[in-house]
Amino acid sequence: MRVGDHPILGKVEWGKKVTMIVDGHPVEALEGEPIATALLAAGRRVFRYTTKLNEPRGVFCALGRCTDCVMVVDGQPNVRTCVTPVRDGMVIETQVGLGQWCYSKKADKKDG
Amino acid sequence: MVEPMNKVKVAVVGAGAAGISASIEAARAGAKVVLIDENERPGGQLFKQIHKFFGSEAHRAGIRGIQIGTDLLEQAKEAGVQIRLNTVVYGLFAEKCLGLMCGDHTEELQADVIILATGASENTLAFPGWTLPGVMGAGAAQTLINIHRTLPGDRVLMVGAGNVGLIVSYQLLQAGAEVVASVEGLPYIGGYGVHASKIRRAGVPILLSHTVLRAEGHESVERAVISQVDKNWVPLQGTEKTLEIDTLCLAVGLSPLAELAWMAGCQFIHISPMGGWIPVHDENMQTTLPGIYVAGDLTGIEEASTAMEEGRLAGLAAAEALGCLSFEEGAMKKAEVRERLETLRIGSFGKGRSLAKKQILESRGTV
Amino acid sequence: MTDKDVIICRCEEVTRGEIEEAIRLGLTTMNEVKRLTRAGLGLCQGKTCSRLVSDILARETNRPLQDVKPSTCRPPTRVMPIGVLASLPSDSE
Repeated sequence: MRVGDHPILGKVEWGKKVTMIVDGHPVEALEGEPIATALLAAGRRVFRYTTKLNEPRGVFCALGRCTDCVMVVDGQPNVRTCVTPVRDGMVIETQVGLGQWCYSKKADKKDG
Repeated sequence: MVEPMNKVKVAVVGAGAAGISASIEAARAGAKVVLIDENERPGGQLFKQIHKFFGSEAHRAGIRGIQIGTDLLEQAKEAGVQIRLNTVVYGLFAEKCLGLMCGDHTEELQADVIILATGASENTLAFPGWTLPGVMGAGAAQTLINIHRTLPGDRVLMVGAGNVGLIVSYQLLQAGAEVVASVEGLPYIGGYGVHASKIRRAGVPILLSHTVLRAEGHESVERAVISQVDKNWVPLQGTEKTLEIDTLCLAVGLSPLAELAWMAGCQFIHISPMGGWIPVHDENMQTTLPGIYVAGDLTGIEEASTAMEEGRLAGLAAAEALGCLSFEEGAMKKAEVRERLETLRIGSFGKGRSLAKKQILESRGTV
Repeated sequence: MTDKDVIICRCEEVTRGEIEEAIRLGLTTMNEVKRLTRAGLGLCQGKTCSRLVSDILARETNRPLQDVKPSTCRPPTRVMPIGVLASLPSDSE
């Protein structure tokens, strides 16, 4: 849930709206905000499933230290969503275990 | 081809209250200062502190942390401090050489003096269900609501009634969440009474001698079970209560972020009330390694006001060591800062910290 | 779930029971616990669990906290792709 109005901080000047694709579905976000907050605002709290016990994880430290919030972003796994800003068209996927590196996607990026 | 290494007089790691203050003093004395922070914006904890600070007028009493942060940054820019954001200091190597990771490449920065002001991080508490999404640090919740204007949930259980627990509970209320309860294992409140009164008046029960037993839920937190404990923190039979929540915040203390100081080989001392392992420093904030200084929560968990003063002290000492400040001027300015630090470490809350700081100074060479 | 099943190292999913069992084999240092159980070897490199692990080690070996030094701290302090480590500033221009 967004805190649009606040007794101390006042009303928010929401920035530019963009769209990210989360597990195939379009989700509205604000350009430049951390992926994690866009997901939380959209009601999404489970970001990944662990390797050994297949347990759900989400935001824990919100500072980029604990690495619990990692997801696969534009084909790259282990991206800390709480410190990575959203860009329009970003592709976000629930990470399962350590994720899979998509070498072909990275190669396309370099040549393109 | 090997690239030539960048050199700087003073490298300050961490652009929080202590780091910005240190860089201002060093730059005003005439040293070339680079202030480095891994985040995309500077200010550390200051921009999460939307409440008014206490203390004397000299310590910006009545002013909110966010305003202090903004003012400090202005002063740093005016003094000519070069601020590098989104830059991680990934290593501290021999001869005061810093390894920097800047997005897609790395660099090396050689400094004559390094000031570490890397702050502290939240402790955790492990119990069944603590890994469920919805369980997070109190500071994490604070970052989400005050900086990103997004609530992590609607019904919160706060574990811990120290200052962080009390303040974040109040800020959660301000952001529109319901704080179902605050549980504290000790039989007394660890934080300032004024914070506790505020949340009590807002209807939040502070349950002393209580702890959380477990968090439950299918894919994220849906409930928490709390119970009363005896003075040895052993749960008392028959006192279990289930609370319907969707967020559980842990406010169980902070520990210094001392990786770089450990890596460099600084001497450490363990003082539990100050957060655990503290890098030993002298009255100039210099560690046991010449040319490496420390300031702020890294040197023991205190407050923003002490962090700013320690930062100033380290900045002045660094400038003096580099010859930018004369011995007389340095001594005079440092004495002023030390006097202010003393006034911050008084009273029932400050005395313990004052003793701990003395312990740190006395431990040099003996630990 | 019993106390033994509580996860201590979130990254590597190491439980309290596994850590206590390992210590009872005769371990006395944080480095040893890290290497045998993998607690502290995951993505966060012990940033979240090291205090919890040292509490357990101190208790199991009957020593005060100040006698349990943290495990060795080596660079890098944050997750770093090898390509980034190998890139110089001029490469990104």
